[in-house]
Amino acid sequence: MTSNFRSLPVITLLTILSLPLVIMYAFTLVDTVTDAEPGSLIPSVFTLHHWRFLWDDTTGRGSVWIATINTFIFAGSTAAIVCATSLTSAYALSRLNFPARRFFLAGVIILHAFPTITLIIAIFLILQFLGLFDTLIGVIMVKAALELPFGIWVMKGFYDTVPWEIEMAGVQDGASRFMVWRKLVLPQVQPGLSALLIFSFLSGWSEFILPLVLAPGSDAQVLSTYLAYFLLDDSLEVDFNLFKSVGLFYALPVILIYLVFQKKLMNIYGGGSKG
Amino acid sequence: MQLRLENFTKTFESLTVIDKLNLTVESGEMMALLGPSGCGKSTTLFTICGIHRMNGGTLHFGDRDVSDLPSQKRNVGVVFQNYALYPHMSIRENIAFPLRVQKLDNATITRKVGEIAELVHIPELLDRRPAQLSGGQQQRVALARALVRQPDVLLLDEPLANLDAKLRLEMRSEIRRIQLETGITAILVTHDQVEAMSMCDRIALMKDGKIVQLSEPDQMYNDPVDTFVAGFLGNPPIAFLDATVVDGQFRVGDNGIAISDALQPKVNGQVQLGIRPEYFGPQFGTGMQGQISFVETQGREDLYNVTLPNGAVLRSIQPAGPRLKLGDTVNWGIASDHALAFTPEGTRI
Amino acid sequence: MPRFHALGFGFLAPAMIVVTLFFLAPVILTVFFAFTNMSTSTGITGGEYLLTQSDLRKVKASSVSDETYDKLENAGYVVDEAGLARLVEARDQATADELATLHGGAQFSSRRDMERALKDLRVNRIRSTRERKALAELFTSSVMDERFQTKDEFRAALTAAGIPEADQRILVKVAYTGWVWTTENMKLLFSLDSSWRYAMNTLFYVVLTLSFNVGFGLFLAISTFYLPPTIANTFRTIWFLPRILPPVLYVLMWYWLTWDTGIISSFMSLFGVAPRNWMLDTATNAWIVVILINGFVGASLGMILFSSAIKTIPASMLYASEVDGANRWQQIRYIILPQLRWPILFTSSYQTLSLLTSFEYILLATDGGPGGATEVWALAAYHTALNNYGGNLQYGLGAAYALVLVVIGIVTSVLYLRFFNFKDLVAKPRIEQ
Repeated sequence: MTSNFRSLPVITLLTILSLPLVIMYAFTLVDTVTDAEPGSLIPSVFTLHHWRFLWDDTTGRGSVWIATINTFIFAGSTAAIVCATSLTSAYALSRLNFPARRFFLAGVIILHAFPTITLIIAIFLILQFLGLFDTLIGVIMVKAALELPFGIWVMKGFYDTVPWEIEMAGVQDGASRFMVWRKLVLPQVQPGLSALLIFSFLSGWSEFILPLVLAPGSDAQVLSTYLAYFLLDDSLEVDFNLFKSVGLFYALPVILIYLVFQKKLMNIYGGGSKG
Repeated sequence: MQLRLENFTKTFESLTVIDKLNLTVESGEMMALLGPSGCGKSTTLFTICGIHRMNGGTLHFGDRDVSDLPSQKRNVGVVFQNYALYPHMSIRENIAFPLRVQKLDNATITRKVGEIAELVHIPELLDRRPAQLSGGQQQRVALARALVRQPDVLLLDEPLANLDAKLRLEMRSEIRRIQLETGITAILVTHDQVEAMSMCDRIALMKDGKIVQLSEPDQMYNDPVDTFVAGFLGNPPIAFLDATVVDGQFRVGDNGIAISDALQPKVNGQVQLGIRPEYFGPQFGTGMQGQISFVETQGREDLYNVTLPNGAVLRSIQPAGPRLKLGDTVNWGIASDHALAFTPEGTRI
Repeated sequence: MPRFHALGFGFLAPAMIVVTLFFLAPVILTVFFAFTNMSTSTGITGGEYLLTQSDLRKVKASSVSDETYDKLENAGYVVDEAGLARLVEARDQATADELATLHGGAQFSSRRDMERALKDLRVNRIRSTRERKALAELFTSSVMDERFQTKDEFRAALTAAGIPEADQRILVKVAYTGWVWTTENMKLLFSLDSSWRYAMNTLFYVVLTLSFNVGFGLFLAISTFYLPPTIANTFRTIWFLPRILPPVLYVLMWYWLTWDTGIISSFMSLFGVAPRNWMLDTATNAWIVVILINGFVGASLGMILFSSAIKTIPASMLYASEVDGANRWQQIRYIILPQLRWPILFTSSYQTLSLLTSFEYILLATDGGPGGATEVWALAAYHTALNNYGGNLQYGLGAAYALVLVVIGIVTSVLYLRFFNFKDLVAKPRIEQ
């Protein structure tokens, strides 16, 4: 900030406090490709042995690739559903005239604030009734539904910034409201849409509780439950190098996406959002 | 095409903003809706273009009743205050949009866009984006887009408000030129009396949802129906004095002003006198004594406020000359033929 | 005008369907489930009618007449088709055929008589007394331990067994294996000692984690604010990562930090401290780890919100305070903190709700251990209904636990409405078509 204050003490203090996290990050990276002498923490040998889970099923939990594909389907579909649905409904709430609009708006705010995880038990039972328990499609629907109020809220914020005059001009030029939305308004909210898409994808990718409870079987497992299995199964021999390799494999897309889209995402994270 | 608004009523929630307003704009005429903010002029404009719905009354374009038609079917061109150009489209696409909506073929669209671009003098800008244009250029594009499908009526909502002073002058004459060349019926909404007077054939001056006076600009300036109209037009503004009719004179404190022959039979008792600055000064003889209480020099002209002994203030505008100083005592005259008389309630006598 | 209603509703419809099905329905059903005794053993659809010994013992104490009890307990034995079929299962066809010729259709009032009948078998002799005893049971004509799909079938069987109408109603009730409506969960909720412990754990957890989140988030935001941009961004990235990383991986890192094969143990062993699981060895350590795990994630949210709020303070204001001679503490105290009042309030209220209800990190880290020390309310709901070692998942009781949170959630969310300038929000659309 200004040159009136010295920053060295602050840097020192922050460094000390950040040390545990930095050590965790560093060793997570290093340990995946090295081995150390028993009892020592300093890596001594380079090895790709810890990545063996990629080509053979040493874990007894099925192929990691199935889980990866499942995770892609899960995160991709939820993001697509959330975006498509909030794209239309947020526009209706932001711009269209229809009865009970107030009610719907209040509903969105309340749902947006509501802690969805408390509903997990009822959702579990509903999926049992519907026969969607332990299926990928069931978890996708649930995740999309729970993410939707947030999506609508974010998209409404983006629609609200589009000047009314643009729409008025479109209507004057003879375009229907639908066409105005399609041709004139959508292009204006496109940046917001892509931010929401990325955000929902990441949220789906990281989701853990929903797949754990609603799709515990190995057919529909995603990477989060695949990895959690190592942590939660006491009978397994603890092999942190292997666990970390799986973890890094799992988190790689997240880190990449974050690095590429950092600025866009900050808009959503910083916007007083939940998540 | 003639535009006819009859018994137009508009309410928001329970508040009636405009009650039974009548307005006729003749074919090819440019009409100004002038008034202070909140007078209902924008509401009227938005109703004519169909963005607001009417709560009562009818609207005709020529013989066509458009009262219940949505905007899309009214065939009205609108230029918005902030131009509302579509930022993601090139200028060409912007202008072509109303034609695309009508699903015209590409050749026709290209031809029409070319023609209108010539008319508003922007053919070289067609491939740019709105963000790359200056305010004046954006204004021209907005006009082109509003005119390209040959609307029955052109509506201009404060079109010059977002321009700097120099461009405003230029666009004033440009808009008028284009309106005259196309011969389109146009309505200009503005709060700026200079714009209204310089651009339009007639002015409808509005206040509180009603049209107070509808007439040609010079007539409105010289022959206002009440103190509101007199005060709204003219810069520097007209000065009002409380006067009493005594012995064939308007008495203002110790000073007296002759009553013109025309007014002589109509006035008695208390009146309000309206004196425009150009009709008060040494060139009109003497009669009003007071002290200079304010001096502003505008280069070509000087502006003086003269405070009379009873506290009333008169304004005077004079060609730049030997400067009088604050506090100087002057004795100037009034062109009594041009003094406007109003009842104490403000109605013109 | 109706055309545009249609467009509005059409645009809303997909969201409404999804939200209703997986959002509103769960809220309502949580209430319903909380007043049932649903569990793994009752199933979630309908049940059957099965009268067991333990059911009988239950009713004996209450209202069923002794005669009925006796009839049920000491029901007779019949050599019928069903019994013979069971005998074929247990032994073989020949035995069954011989018994059928000897005693086909016979009725016996006591087991001893039935056993005697079995003794009569000559060709296919059943030698062991124990086996005879067991086989005699196959011919019991009792309604006991027999499954009936519908109420009517069960009642018919009771009538056939000579049970008076008056007692049938009670028996039907005890014998039903499906779920029923009950207020038992609510009573249980308030009477169980463990409920109060979960509540206290939750309070402790929320208060401590929240203070850490806000305090540390503030510290991070303010301290990085004073640093040169590159250094500040480095630290912000370090502290933002816990939020970005998938929870499972993030907790895995903590495992590695704290477990007996992890880095703390390895490091401490240099000083002769025996390796141990620092996450789970004592309740205190478990709490520290749980609060830090959540706190780091929460602090990063606070850091982002507070940082962006600080950025909106005009630089001239800060310069002015420095020219006026404020030192750094005074600048923070009098210029920065007052600007952060709303973000702090927002973060606190938002995180209170989220900490109350989420259990993801605790589940992954300690799973409520050691010995239930870190079991918070939301986790208890999860354990009761969805995952416990006993195996009998009590959906009803779990829903009752969840209901408490749902109610808190609804109340808080409605309060949340007041945060917004709702009037602005519902401003009429400006195109009136």
